[in-house]
Amino acid sequence: MVGSGLAGFTAYRTLRRALPPDEIAVFGTDADPAAAWRGRAAAIRQRAMRSESNGHTGPTTFPGLAFRAARHRRSPRPLLETAADRFHPTVEEFLAHVEEARERSGWDTSLVPRRVERVRAMDGGFAVDGELFRHVLIATGHAGLNMPEELRGDPRAVHAYEPHEYASTVTVVGAGLAAATEWLNALAAGAEVVSVRRREPVRRPLTVPRPMLTKRGLASFHRLPAEERAERIRRLVAPSYPPGRAWDEPLARAAAEGRFRVEQSVNGSEQVICATGFLRGFRHDPLLARLVAEHELETVDRFVVLAPDSTVPALSDGTRTLALAGAPAAWAFPSADSLSGARYAAHHFLRRVRACRTR
Amino acid sequence: MSYTLRGRIDSRLAALLPLLVVCLAVGGAVHQWWPVELCVLMGATGVALDLELWRRLPYQPAWAALPLGLVELGAVMAVVYGFGLHAPLGPALALFGAGWLLALLLGQAGFPLLRLGYAEDGGELGRAGPAAGAAIVLALAGSAATYAVRLPPVVHLSAGVHRGPLVIRQREILQGSPGAIVRGGIVVAHDDVQIRDVTVVGGTNGITVDGYRNTVLDGVTVEGAKLDGIHVRLAGVVIRNCTVDMLGNRLGQGIDISFNMDKGMSIVEGCTVVGGQQGITTHSSGTEIMGNTVSRTAEQAIDIEEMSMGMASHNTVRDARGIGLYCNDRSTCMFDHNTVVGTQPDRAAGGRAAQGLAVLASFESEADLWRNRLSGNAGGVGTVTDSELRWTPTPGW
Repeated sequence: MVGSGLAGFTAYRTLRRALPPDEIAVFGTDADPAAAWRGRAAAIRQRAMRSESNGHTGPTTFPGLAFRAARHRRSPRPLLETAADRFHPTVEEFLAHVEEARERSGWDTSLVPRRVERVRAMDGGFAVDGELFRHVLIATGHAGLNMPEELRGDPRAVHAYEPHEYASTVTVVGAGLAAATEWLNALAAGAEVVSVRRREPVRRPLTVPRPMLTKRGLASFHRLPAEERAERIRRLVAPSYPPGRAWDEPLARAAAEGRFRVEQSVNGSEQVICATGFLRGFRHDPLLARLVAEHELETVDRFVVLAPDSTVPALSDGTRTLALAGAPAAWAFPSADSLSGARYAAHHFLRRVRACRTR
Repeated sequence: MSYTLRGRIDSRLAALLPLLVVCLAVGGAVHQWWPVELCVLMGATGVALDLELWRRLPYQPAWAALPLGLVELGAVMAVVYGFGLHAPLGPALALFGAGWLLALLLGQAGFPLLRLGYAEDGGELGRAGPAAGAAIVLALAGSAATYAVRLPPVVHLSAGVHRGPLVIRQREILQGSPGAIVRGGIVVAHDDVQIRDVTVVGGTNGITVDGYRNTVLDGVTVEGAKLDGIHVRLAGVVIRNCTVDMLGNRLGQGIDISFNMDKGMSIVEGCTVVGGQQGITTHSSGTEIMGNTVSRTAEQAIDIEEMSMGMASHNTVRDARGIGLYCNDRSTCMFDHNTVVGTQPDRAAGGRAAQGLAVLASFESEADLWRNRLSGNAGGVGTVTDSELRWTPTPGW
């Protein structure tokens, strides 16, 4: 596995259903699979997960984090909440679960602390920086933070996922969960907040409509023609944040006090927070860009074309598997950068590995 | 969960399988088919709703299992009552509840643990889904075969007169050909006997059922019995479409069902009874008397006696002497939609019978009346000895 973040860790735990730690190599630069995510969550002062009970790194949806929380809190409330899709684990609960799972899983045994520069197909498998593997899952995560071109170099600008405090006047660029979190953070810090966004935010509980997390929605998605599919992904992963009074009431109150307003462009605020997400597309990831170029892999727009099971069709057959997980796997699973997406890729990767007689 | 249609069916059938095993075991233990019938009905109703309604739900949160389960329960119970499936309410509800809970636990925990991609596959179980379906078909085929093998043999009684008394000592269906007559009476001496389309002439009783279960008399004709036309003791019976001629017999009863309160509900339906001391009488019994015609009886036409709990419904009583509908001796009766006409006084009997009453409740009995037509009777309705007649605004007890 190339990548040691949450997507890689989820895949690792799934693989462990079939393989011992010494048959799995995880290449990555950080031993803590939650390290990158932890830093970003801390930067936006995130307290609760947007995901629900099954937003965890385990191979099966059950037992979910609600079950764990019910046990730890000694209360049935999380189970009742999850029955109504209202349970959202706290960030602490999520991170504690990752830590526990890491200790039990053998992760540290399998970890090879090294950044992989190149994956290349060879006879009977793939060379990962020269080492041969029959099955490779690439889960390198997001390629970097996305800063609007016009704000690069602006001393007032900071990305939401970078550590920061709040000035007395703050402009937040973006319309997703990070932006909404930053509106509330800055307001709570006493700032006057301006929201700059190109479109009205989509309000939905999860990053994509729920049927798109299962075969019910994915089957028709997988049948779409290439251009239409690319457009569908763009629409599905457009910035959104959950509906609810916890978001609306503080904003309405601040708007009534004249402390929150929406504008079309960045004005003269003391601080500009860019809640503009990540660089998207394989071209921003040197490893993927090189892989695509060297093997002339099919792409559409910013996406690597994948089979519905998240594998690269041109480089996968009955004897070897190359699969993507995390954000670059959106062609197979629109919400690929979620934990559900990581699990989806992991399940299919494991099926491939199990089906391979020569592994 | 966003189920695919196949996912719904797979999950339902796989959850039904263990329940079906329980149903088969319970059915075997109680020697009845209703648990199996109920299980099949639950599965069939669920699959039908999956195909027609639930498939339209794009997403189903866990809490929705409750309202969906209630709808399915309503549909199952509607079919149970609509088709007259004889499932006792309490155990049937318990079985449904167990099935619902099992399906919920399997859907939320069991299947996700057993199959890695259960959630993202929309509830599909791969090869296990069709395997569960095949196992259910196999189990039902086995049940059907068992049912067929256990069906009682059919004994055909040819046309003509057969000398009786005929004693039936095995499970069987005695099927009379047109013109089949038994002279001297029939005695049922085994459980699960059915007698169809047979005429019985003479005998001490025309047909005697004493202490045996699950007797069905369908389309029988009885005439010339010395005591009772059809005589039932300590036994549950279903009597349908019979004709009992007791004319000239002032002491016998047309149909007498007694002392079977602990044998479940007996039924007398669609019979014609003429003559006799009582037309249809029950003692310490829970019997439904429905849609019969009783006429020219010597003392009471329909008589619910001796701590019975009975319902007489949609019957026609004509030209009875003494009393038309009688609820006596600490019995509880429901009389509804009956027609009682031309009841004559029985002056020899004296008392209230001498008045020719259409309805009488006697000796600490209670009778509810609803939509009965009482016409041309010598007397109206009456009560004696701490009894009560109530005109109820709604049917039933």
